[in-house]
Amino acid sequence: MIKSLILDLGRLRLTPLAVTQVREKGQLSRPHLRNPTWFLRKERKMRDNHVTSENKSFVQEIVQDKYGPPALIKGVATYDQSKREELVKTEKIESEPWTTASRRTGVIARKIGQYPLWLKNGERIRTTLLQIVDNHVVKYIPPELYKPAQVPSVAKLNSYGCLLVGAESCDPSTLTKEYCGLFKDSGLLPKKHLVRFLVSPNAAIPVGTPLNVTHFRVGDYVDVRGKTVDHGFQGVVKRHGFKGMPASHGVTKTHRRPGNIGGGGEKGRVWPGTKLPGHMGNRWRISKGLRIWRINTKYNVMWVSGSAIPGSTNGLVYIYDTILPLRKHKTAPPFPTMFDQTLEGPDDIWFDAVHNFKDETITFQPEE
Amino acid sequence: MSFLLKTLKSTSVANAVNAVGQAQMQAKLLHTTPVCYEIRKLARLRVVDNSDLGKRAMAEGRPPRCIHVYNKRGIGLVGDKVLVAIKGQMKKGILVGLKQKQKPKIPKFDSNNLVLIDDNGTPLGTRIHVPVPTILRTILKEKTQAKGADYTKVLAIASRFI
Amino acid sequence: MMLAPSRLVTPSLLRQTVFTRVVTFSTKAAPKEKEQYSNKQTTNVAPTTYRFIYPEFLPDPKVEWRNPIREKLERLDMIDRRSQIDIPEFYVGSILAVTSSDPHAAGKVSRFVGICIQRERCGLRARFILRNVVDEQGVEVLYEMYDPTIQKIEVLRLEKRLDDHLLYLRDALPEYSTFDTNMEPEVMEDGAPVPVNDIQVRLRPRPWLERWERQNLKGVSNIDEYLTDKRRRTAKEHEKPWEKYDLMKQYRSTIPEEEQKEIYAEVYSQLHQMELQRKRNKRKRSFVKPTKLA
Repeated sequence: MIKSLILDLGRLRLTPLAVTQVREKGQLSRPHLRNPTWFLRKERKMRDNHVTSENKSFVQEIVQDKYGPPALIKGVATYDQSKREELVKTEKIESEPWTTASRRTGVIARKIGQYPLWLKNGERIRTTLLQIVDNHVVKYIPPELYKPAQVPSVAKLNSYGCLLVGAESCDPSTLTKEYCGLFKDSGLLPKKHLVRFLVSPNAAIPVGTPLNVTHFRVGDYVDVRGKTVDHGFQGVVKRHGFKGMPASHGVTKTHRRPGNIGGGGEKGRVWPGTKLPGHMGNRWRISKGLRIWRINTKYNVMWVSGSAIPGSTNGLVYIYDTILPLRKHKTAPPFPTMFDQTLEGPDDIWFDAVHNFKDETITFQPEE
Repeated sequence: MSFLLKTLKSTSVANAVNAVGQAQMQAKLLHTTPVCYEIRKLARLRVVDNSDLGKRAMAEGRPPRCIHVYNKRGIGLVGDKVLVAIKGQMKKGILVGLKQKQKPKIPKFDSNNLVLIDDNGTPLGTRIHVPVPTILRTILKEKTQAKGADYTKVLAIASRFI
Repeated sequence: MMLAPSRLVTPSLLRQTVFTRVVTFSTKAAPKEKEQYSNKQTTNVAPTTYRFIYPEFLPDPKVEWRNPIREKLERLDMIDRRSQIDIPEFYVGSILAVTSSDPHAAGKVSRFVGICIQRERCGLRARFILRNVVDEQGVEVLYEMYDPTIQKIEVLRLEKRLDDHLLYLRDALPEYSTFDTNMEPEVMEDGAPVPVNDIQVRLRPRPWLERWERQNLKGVSNIDEYLTDKRRRTAKEHEKPWEKYDLMKQYRSTIPEEEQKEIYAEVYSQLHQMELQRKRNKRKRSFVKPTKLA
């Protein structure tokens, strides 16, 4: 019975009358949204499932046994994994030499504040402090396997691999099983933040390698990407810096309004791009070509020029080598990263032109 | 406030509280940024050299007015040349000290000081009787061009640098 | 001494620092810990006067801008600078002489004497304004305390005034802000309290730079002479007598006492060393003087 019905339906479809014209596909043509494999639910739903305090401490003990004791490394609260060599496999690879075409990985940092530095010519510069927070390489996907669904607007994307970097270790008992599984092979403690960086294949770094501030040198230029402060829905005076209208002289109810937004006649419509009220902030923005003035290796902090880095204080930012053609690396940087963790010398590395606070007072000598 | 209070007599207490609150809000919304003390057209200045013209103008209580600032912004900064109207004449002068907010280590004065010069940059007086910022040395040296007016002569008549 | 544990992160210390916040001077009772620390840290109690002597070591109380590591790095830099020049204790109302190198007069130094009319900002941005009347011309210079071009900061007269700022000296008669450039520093006894100068200045008639009548100033004597009824009334309308009861406002605009103690305990040993060094130098100088005369 059913069989015959299906056959009938099949015949119906074949008949020319049943062909439906599809002019606009609408929702049908949208590609299936494939998130990257590391986009998993992170937080576990915390239920009040009557875990006794002994059990809780037992879980903590297991975590410490597996990953090492809690420690404050470079000013960041994390776990001391250095003695667990069976977990972190950071053998130095035979790296290829640096070329101008190679693209290194970036790092994840926190904007921790800003304060002035002085140059040796007495000039004051405003700097922002970025702290690199417990970064480790989590995964590397070679170019032939990296096929993102949402294609980033990067030229020659198919020649770059994808390096997954994590920041800030946290207690795995608060995370979901799937998310913790991402870190299973790397032997790392699960990270709070994961970011992918596009790297050229010769700049690939083995999994588990820590990334430190020595990845950069003083005097180099970096691009810093962050999410700007969310101001919410704002008017034109705050959002675009319009002047507004006078407070008095017959102005009624239009003190902070945009005024006229266009002409009539041929152009009688609102032109695209007209500055109007709307949501302000909470966008990804990159400030490019910022010089590194000073580096502190003990706390993994770098001083970067400028006081308008996107994001709030204590917010996350991503640091890349700059893409500005005139400020790119001229000589080989630590490539693919600085593997040597035990650096000799002082904690602070200063750029030549910057005045070290330990130095003598600046005096100006007359020109001969 | 007084007219508000009068109107309040008839209204209820709740309304009264509202109205007072609104009046306070209005007072808060008034824009009260500090004054910029910018030297623009029609700003009155103080002649600080001992030129005859300047001394007489200041003694009469008719200080010179700036009628043009020789830069692109139209707002005079330290070391800028201005055209002033002084006792019915047009004279040029150099600003040697401003009331405006200054950068660290650059002095800020209580008056807007002016030194009168002629077209060649030669000052009309022979002495400046107030202190002059040292940054003028750099600024005036930069502004002096090889065949143009020599403004550094102003520095020669200064009595004290700060 | 105090900085050593925080600077050298040793594994034994780490265990203590990670989960329990080390509050060195807590008001809460913690008998066990006290016994542990009593031997080490009793010597590191910074005097309570430090918050007035070194106010710029306290960070900006705005919570959104705070970060412990940034603050620590900033304090280290400040101490490094202080090891190069002696930044003495001074207050609003003290008379200072600042010697600085000047790029516009290469090879020379410029010295400015004046009364401190304002101190503001914290950390490396700390700055103050000096005011003086030179050649019957009022002059003000803004100095940054940690500017490396400043060669010397001398306190010629250490005293306080009745107000938190003396910006009204701009509208006062010039004699109240006239000071001799060749003033000799006045010597004070060690440990003597800082005298408060309760002088009341006379203002010039209006127009003024600010509405001084609204600021509840104590160091002005004749403010009432120049006020009309309307101004008096508006001043009264703008009074905020409830603000002294606003605990939240106070909390947001200050650093809690516990945290202050923590901060000063961190920098105490170095600052104390510098103070001792300064005293030793002073004694040396006073010892050398008679030999010079002889």
